[in-house]
Amino acid sequence: MSDSGMGGCPGSRMQDFREDTKGGKVEGGVRQSQLKQWPIQLHLVSPEAPYYQKADVLLSADCVAFTVGDFHKDYLKGKSVAIACPKLDEGQEEYTEKVKSLIDDAKINTLTVMTMQVPCCAGLVAIAEEALHSAKRKIPIKSIVVSLQGDVLSEEWVS
Amino acid sequence: MKFPQVGKILEEYKIGCVPCTLGSCLLKDIVAIHNLSQAQETELIYRIEKTIYPQRDIKRPAFKQAAKKTAVKEIKYSPVIKRLIDEHALIKKWIGLIPEVVENVDIASGSGKKLILDGLDFIRFYADKFHHAKEEDILFGYTDKNLDIIKTMLADHETARGHVQAMIRALDKGDKKTVFAHLNAYKELLSEHIKREDEILYPWIDRSISTTQVGELFTKFNEAEEKLDKEVIEKCKKFVQEAEQRVQKIKTEKKEVTK
Repeated sequence: MSDSGMGGCPGSRMQDFREDTKGGKVEGGVRQSQLKQWPIQLHLVSPEAPYYQKADVLLSADCVAFTVGDFHKDYLKGKSVAIACPKLDEGQEEYTEKVKSLIDDAKINTLTVMTMQVPCCAGLVAIAEEALHSAKRKIPIKSIVVSLQGDVLSEEWVS
Repeated sequence: MKFPQVGKILEEYKIGCVPCTLGSCLLKDIVAIHNLSQAQETELIYRIEKTIYPQRDIKRPAFKQAAKKTAVKEIKYSPVIKRLIDEHALIKKWIGLIPEVVENVDIASGSGKKLILDGLDFIRFYADKFHHAKEEDILFGYTDKNLDIIKTMLADHETARGHVQAMIRALDKGDKKTVFAHLNAYKELLSEHIKREDEILYPWIDRSISTTQVGELFTKFNEAEEKLDKEVIEKCKKFVQEAEQRVQKIKTEKKEVTK
């Protein structure tokens, strides 16, 4: 991996992974998408949607699906999803309310929050924790943090 | 034990099954449940085989010598297992006081008998109805109940209930010797039982259950707790918080009487 050598925000610093991705195994065949709903953006989704009721929900930072090679197979499969960017999206107070509604109204079973290792991404976990704090119901929340090259750095229950 | 050295080897890997007298578990199951790394498991099996068959020409597999010393992985429990471990902490607090209770409490005195009765209420309502019931009615349903370790845990619960019943009968008769014999036996049983659950069974179950199952268990635990009288559970928690002070008070009163 090489980077531009410039400092600044780790979330927007340029990095070049071209050398690291060379030599990967080429696989044939067509992989089945594990997405079972639309829409997926957190502003657009409705907690009333049938696929959220009592579901295991994955709240993923936008970039995660691009970095984790087996995102569909290992993380999306079996879950309903919502995506958001805690750095760039506007109206994040609505995000907290929506996650709270998923907990209280859709009565979701669990919430898994997948974020990138960059510091700003931790905001998504904070949104989930704040929503849980204000919700009437309590559910388990898991946090999975992935590196810029798609490795899982940590996976732990945060509540 | 036919090969005592094997027990010592197992203990080096923090596999504390040696004192168990049941002897019904297979070595492969014991090793599997302890979540050793591949290197550790290879090394362990090699050492055991060499101990049992010293004449046999067994090739030493390639493994890192330092592996066994770094055996313990950091355990981060799911919220359901963490809840059970937190409940154990409260039970252990009461169990830890039992030797002092046995040494100092006179069941013929009002305060002494009350302490024992409150302690028995704690065991019946908190340790058994609140905690063991979650295991028996919910958690163990996510395992194979025919597994030896689950059978052993269930048998421990029954034995503990037997001690409680025996204590209640003996307390009615004012039979101090029998009350304390069963209280001590309860302490020994639960100490070992909790140790095995915290160190072996719970981590193994936690590794086995899926995210979906963690959510299901979380909901079922909440539902089970809602069915119980919250005041009784709070009283039990308060009992443990105050028990140490009550034992100290009894000790002080005893000293003053003997002066």
